[in-house]
Amino acid sequence: MSAVIQPGQAPGTTTATAIATGAVSGSRLAVRRFLRNRLAVVGLGVVVFFFLFCFLGPLVYSTDQTHTMLQQVNLGPSGSHWLGTDAVGHDELGRLMYGGKVSLIVGLAAGILATVIGTLWGAAAGYAGGWIDAVMMRIVDAGIAIPALFILLVVSAITTPGLTGLIVILGFVSWLVPSRLIRAETLTLKNRDYVLTLRAIGGTHSRAITRHILPNSVSTIIVATTFQIADAILLVAYVSYLGLGVQPPATDWGGMLSAGLTAAYSGYWWLILPPGLAIILVVWAFNAIGDGLRDAFDVRGRG
Amino acid sequence: MFLAHTANSRRWALVTGAVVTAGALLTGCSGGDTSSSASGSSDTINYALPANFTPNWILPIGTAAHLNTNNSSISQSLWEPLIAYDGSTGKVGWNKDNSLATAADFAKDSKSVTITLGERHWSDGKQITSRDVEFWFNLVKANKADWASYSPGKAPDNWTSLKIVDDTHFTITFDQAYNQQWMLANELSMIRPMPQHVWDKTSDSGTVSDLDRTTAGAKKVWTYLNGVAKKISGYATDPLWKTVSGPYTIKSFSTAGKVELTANAKYDGGGKANIKNVNLLPFTTTDAEKNALRAGTVDYGYINATDLSQESSFASKGYTVKPWSGWAITYMPYNFNNPAMGAVFKQLYARQAIQMSVDQTTLSKVVFNGTAVSTYGPIPQGQTSSFVSSEQKNNPYPYSTTKAKKLLTSHGWTEQNGTMVCTSPGTGDSQCGAGVDKGTKFRMQVLSQSGSTVTDNMMSALQSSFAKTGIDFTIKTAPVNSVLSQAGQCTADQAGCKWQLSFFGTAGSWYFPAYPSGDSLFATGGGSNFGSYSNSAVDKLITQTTTSSSNEAVQKYSAALAKDLPVIWLPEPDYQVSVVKNGLGGFAQDSLANFHPAMWKWTTK
Repeated sequence: MSAVIQPGQAPGTTTATAIATGAVSGSRLAVRRFLRNRLAVVGLGVVVFFFLFCFLGPLVYSTDQTHTMLQQVNLGPSGSHWLGTDAVGHDELGRLMYGGKVSLIVGLAAGILATVIGTLWGAAAGYAGGWIDAVMMRIVDAGIAIPALFILLVVSAITTPGLTGLIVILGFVSWLVPSRLIRAETLTLKNRDYVLTLRAIGGTHSRAITRHILPNSVSTIIVATTFQIADAILLVAYVSYLGLGVQPPATDWGGMLSAGLTAAYSGYWWLILPPGLAIILVVWAFNAIGDGLRDAFDVRGRG
Repeated sequence: MFLAHTANSRRWALVTGAVVTAGALLTGCSGGDTSSSASGSSDTINYALPANFTPNWILPIGTAAHLNTNNSSISQSLWEPLIAYDGSTGKVGWNKDNSLATAADFAKDSKSVTITLGERHWSDGKQITSRDVEFWFNLVKANKADWASYSPGKAPDNWTSLKIVDDTHFTITFDQAYNQQWMLANELSMIRPMPQHVWDKTSDSGTVSDLDRTTAGAKKVWTYLNGVAKKISGYATDPLWKTVSGPYTIKSFSTAGKVELTANAKYDGGGKANIKNVNLLPFTTTDAEKNALRAGTVDYGYINATDLSQESSFASKGYTVKPWSGWAITYMPYNFNNPAMGAVFKQLYARQAIQMSVDQTTLSKVVFNGTAVSTYGPIPQGQTSSFVSSEQKNNPYPYSTTKAKKLLTSHGWTEQNGTMVCTSPGTGDSQCGAGVDKGTKFRMQVLSQSGSTVTDNMMSALQSSFAKTGIDFTIKTAPVNSVLSQAGQCTADQAGCKWQLSFFGTAGSWYFPAYPSGDSLFATGGGSNFGSYSNSAVDKLITQTTTSSSNEAVQKYSAALAKDLPVIWLPEPDYQVSVVKNGLGGFAQDSLANFHPAMWKWTTK
């Protein structure tokens, strides 16, 4: 794009406007490219739908998720209970909304936490280089070598954390992969001219990282975040299955699935399919959004 | 730099895998109908051991680290007890067919008993004599601290001497008069004669002598036997274990948990093996065991209570579902020393309100699928017995959250935002009671076993009904071992006294010996009195249960605790919901939770 100098306008201002206009066009292009990816758009729609379903749904379809109703357990879908009831008489549709809140909140928070930790670690390692990078990345390698499920099993044998504890645990077992991505990105960015220039004129390391490296890695970070959220939602399901999840009467989709699986051979499909499908759809949706964002930010694919 | 496609492929594979798995679960793994034994042979049976249990002890003197009824069942198939006091015949009593003794004659003053042995032989042909009983007695006396069944003041402390009369008669003298049934059922039944002529040595190559007759010698012999018994891999090969008195010998014993027993050809007792080969199979989870049942590789297995709705599915595969009730009680102990709620728990009216909020009938019917029995006191109610008082039988505190709420409000509590708050402190009849401060909220937390759907459902139901009374009940779950370690006896000033209520899970029921005295559970300072319950009147009754000559003492104890509520009484679930191959019969499921393979037999093959 070329800048057009208007009469009476200062050259510097013109350049700034031109760059700004170029940036807006870049964002618009990215949005257009994202919207052209049908799967990503459907994924976005699914995520929006589930957020509305879980957070606004209870306002429309109100159910009692605190008290049990032992006189109406394991009822099949009907006019009064659209998705039937569970083993203690809770309305299953209402429980899907109730449990979804926890799954989405924990998934989002843990996914973002993992990305934040991974970003800071990876950026610091990549920028520092040398032995610091070597030590930091060997720690990451060692962490990746230990299966997250094993760590979660050990934790579940020791304690049962609350909601915040669950987010922290999941965040701390998931940050390793994003740290590798950001480190790789940092390694390429730190040798760019504008970073080297900043350092040559006396700019600090922290300024180089916060003002140049991280902002230029934002596309990678955003994409990594979507995948981390998807992984965290799956991990929430895992830990609930292991008994590490939230405590009754609260629940999440993984806990619902775990409870429902005991009735797998009893024909109570409404206890298994809804939470199972919800997990699959939301995880797929975040992955699809991640794919879409990756393509949207990919410079190489721009025509 | 963007994420690699391999990572995405993994995710798609994960999602696809989840769909396929869910599909497989929903459709089920159908198998053809089969009515023959899993092994296809009439002289073999495959029995499923409890999930996550691997047999690891056979020596007739059990240690705490190896205490398990399944170990005991295997051991008793190899070395018969002196007095088999169990429920193997359908009613708890002395099963003489599987006992080495034929008679026990108590002295008139109930201070001693003379026991007669039958004309029985070890598998190596030597006669089983009083000396073999004395050998066990001496080892236990000298090493009682290592014996899992030891409780200070009880056997062998209260057995002052064992005197051999002749090869088949001996007399045991007690330190005082005891209830004869209690002594027979709870103490003498623990005696397990052992082959002195083979085991009374201190090394593999050592010479057998009367080493056990001195305390120092008995300690050395115990050290040797205990050491050998720890080598599971040697159970099938070590000559030490070849001399048995029971209906079976060991064919193989895997450290992974599989045990193969084969009939003892030299057995001359009344409980001869009907099926020659018994395979005891280990499983890591109940689901794995259930899948083996579906595949038809198990003849005698089990399912969860929540799976009872699948009874027809198992029937179509040639099985019959048979609930196995246990001689046990299930309860939730209060921590009377908890700094926050101990003072509230000490108020009888508060415990009454809590108990009135527990709908045992509905919990048994719905949560346990009808495989639990309402229990209102310290005596098991799943079986008919003369021990249960009418007070316990008739439930002194029937379910009514309305009455429970009224009981609290009449004692100085006021409901605020759904939770009762003490607004009238003091010790008067209409006040909260000693130690309960103004503003105390009726808020209690249970530390409960995790990983059990039935337990989770019961806790949710309790939470709901407590809320109706105005009691705020929160649930904290942890693995059962963690619950056990956190919910021990404590004093208010100790850091470990934060627990208020504990629940060890439906598999954590308290199984009694045949005579259900509650000395360790509810006596002041009792070893398993986790919540530090203390009531001097109850202590006296507990003492009487073991020394009185009639069962009336037990009934009084039953009535007292049904009314005083030392714990929250809960429904007692069946020990196991068994799934038994059609054609397997000849046995009753022992309510003392032991299995007796010699009684099993194929009736139709």
